[in-house]
Amino acid sequence: MDFAYTPQQEALRREVRRFIKENVTPEVAEEMDPHAGAERPRGQGPKAAALYQKIHERGWLGIIYPKQYGGQGGDRITQYIVEEEFTRVGVNISLGGSGAPAIMAAGTEEQKQYYIPRLIKREISFCLGFTEPHAGADLANLRCSAVRDGDHYVVNGQKMYTTGAHASTHIYLMARTNRDAPKHEGISIFLIPMDTPGITVRPLWTIQNNPTAPVSTTYGASRTNETFFDEVRVPKSCLLGEENKGWRVGSMGLNLDRVGASRYLISVRRDEDIVNWVKNNSMDGFAPGKDPAIRDKIAELWIEAQVCRLMTMRSMSIVERGGQFTYEGSAEKVWAPEHGVRTTEAITQMLGPYASLLRTSPHAIEDGVFGHNVMGSFQSGINHGSVQVMRDQVARRGLGLPSARKSKKVEAK
Amino acid sequence: MDVLLNDDENLIVDSAREFLAGECPATLVRAMENDPLGYSRDLWGKVAELGWQGMCLPEKTGGSNMPLVYLGLVLREAGRALAPLPLHSTAVASLAIARDGSAAQQEKYLPDVVAGKSVLTWAFTERDPRYVPEAVRMSARAQDDHFVLDGVKLFVDSFPAADHCLVVARTTPGSKGAQGLTLFIVDARSQGISHTPLITLAKDKQCQVDFKGVQVPKANVIGRVGEAWPIVERMLDRGTALLCAQMVGATRKDIEMAIEYAKFREAFGQPIGAFQSVQHMCADMQMWVDGGELLTFEALWKLDQGLPASVEVSQAKAFCNEKCEAAIRNSQNIHGGIGFMMEFDLQLWFRRVSAWTMRMGTAFEHRARIAHALIDVPGEVVLGRPVPVVPEDDAAPVPAARPAAAVPA
Repeated sequence: MDFAYTPQQEALRREVRRFIKENVTPEVAEEMDPHAGAERPRGQGPKAAALYQKIHERGWLGIIYPKQYGGQGGDRITQYIVEEEFTRVGVNISLGGSGAPAIMAAGTEEQKQYYIPRLIKREISFCLGFTEPHAGADLANLRCSAVRDGDHYVVNGQKMYTTGAHASTHIYLMARTNRDAPKHEGISIFLIPMDTPGITVRPLWTIQNNPTAPVSTTYGASRTNETFFDEVRVPKSCLLGEENKGWRVGSMGLNLDRVGASRYLISVRRDEDIVNWVKNNSMDGFAPGKDPAIRDKIAELWIEAQVCRLMTMRSMSIVERGGQFTYEGSAEKVWAPEHGVRTTEAITQMLGPYASLLRTSPHAIEDGVFGHNVMGSFQSGINHGSVQVMRDQVARRGLGLPSARKSKKVEAK
Repeated sequence: MDVLLNDDENLIVDSAREFLAGECPATLVRAMENDPLGYSRDLWGKVAELGWQGMCLPEKTGGSNMPLVYLGLVLREAGRALAPLPLHSTAVASLAIARDGSAAQQEKYLPDVVAGKSVLTWAFTERDPRYVPEAVRMSARAQDDHFVLDGVKLFVDSFPAADHCLVVARTTPGSKGAQGLTLFIVDARSQGISHTPLITLAKDKQCQVDFKGVQVPKANVIGRVGEAWPIVERMLDRGTALLCAQMVGATRKDIEMAIEYAKFREAFGQPIGAFQSVQHMCADMQMWVDGGELLTFEALWKLDQGLPASVEVSQAKAFCNEKCEAAIRNSQNIHGGIGFMMEFDLQLWFRRVSAWTMRMGTAFEHRARIAHALIDVPGEVVLGRPVPVVPEDDAAPVPAARPAAAVPA
């Protein structure tokens, strides 16, 4: 057991912080703002591009990817440290979700050579095309189809909550390639350019519906999308891994997407905020930081945040040792989101009506982040696998509890 | 950074678990509940041969000077088996002697501990159950070459079995708080000491211990007269973290029994473990014990490194107190009626874990200590960095002070 970073890793963290102080100016930050809305997708302006170029020159993009694919051949703890610091200031240095790890695990040499260096240099970005109107928690129930036609596949269907689809170059798509097989065995993964004819992206506006949400808001984004595929013809080289074996590839990538620095930070930032606020502020005669009930609650939440951190460290330790999760990734994806909700809701009862104020309001505390967070934190218990599905996985995969016998009534339907 | 067990640590766990599986059946646990001393002398001798008592004691006293985390793993396994041994009380006292006692004291007391010939314990609590310095009222008057102790200590663990007891008393009359406290090594059979067993739900051997004009040689003071609080605080922190290790070990075994039961107990035509309501209870139990274990071993690791760890210790104990209790209560629920029948073993784990959640600081008390470090010490807190805040690159961290009272001024 070792609960500390090495002196070299600590030095790296200080170096990253210095870099951020010098380079992530308010103007750049504005261009990077993930919640700024529809028309100006995050991180794609000229200042952001220059910043990413600098970060790349430092060797802080694609740290864990092999050098032959344009990465640094580094370890995951280093990646975690760098990612944590950049995530704190709203700069996304991850390769955008589960696409890259899935390509590394299941891609052909050609696909690795093509995608990984471009993902690292941010010339390519993926949005996730998994969920459908009839397939959310029960993802394997998906209907979007890809039918083989000579050297091509023809894709038809609809994908929901394709966040970032309007700004991504590619979609990482899960589609059905065999209607007759059991549902998990007829699924394949495709990497498809978004400019392929027949793809239409339509915005869906979220409950935030407000482009001023502070950068650190948990799910502060106002826009996601639905994406339609109408007779979309793609070459068979778009297939990732083997045909009909896409379920494993997809769920492996999803698991990795559920752990790590940004997933951890979106659930715990409010803990820091409320402690730092109450220790320096009061409202006329009322000092929440001196109220015994509030102090007790803050300490309770702080402990939970440590559990989130330690579960993240556990996941990092497993991955760094080359192991596989049995349930640890799922456990982290239950604990952290639910903790984020508990903190967010507790803060509303510490600050009362002030916690309802959004960023642009007079008297807003901490740029209204607490109000925006009420609308966002619960989303983390839904996105990327709901906490209920995650608990099923802890129970069945982790503890070996049996699946329910299907009742005849359900099967007949 | 690697929070998983390494090969050496796995070896310690495996050998301890295997040993206890053979040597410590539930029948022994039951038998020792009715034993006047409450522990198996035979087993105590055997674990001494394995080196458990001396695991973290200095080599010159016969110990193996291993990391505190290793002892934590052994106590976790002892907790798992509910081993009826005064390991915890002996560890708390012997580590205080090893870390803060004089060379002469170490030579005098520790070799017998290592050899399994001596049981130690410690006495802090009086009527006020909090682990704060102002709770100590017992007086120790200097007289010639000794001190005279008068007062009453409560909740003294394993006292009937103990040969020596570390006692915290006030050597400065009228002093308050952390000032004027002294830590003594007291022969448990000294004239003027009497004890009354407290009847706890765990049926462990906690006692009220009365001190009436008990003479303790001046040579038995640990550290300096009147300046014991930092020593006592470290002793309590180590003890609290080790108790957490014992709790998570016992709770883990307890929930494993419930999970196994859920796999074969059938209702409505299928195993109850196939029902999601039961599955989600089990998932929560697993995550609670995992969380408690991670917090506990981070605290032990930091103590071992000599880093400030008071906040980490309190995090572990406050969390374990509530989550271990919730987990064992869920286990009872999953077992239904059979779980609370005396002839079924689950109750043995339930009663002990439950009692341990009430010792060495309540959740409220530990959270008050955390809140103090978070809120009353200046500086911006950042998750993953030390609390209370230390300025970056500062070589000398500020030690955490316990709050004067649970309720801030």
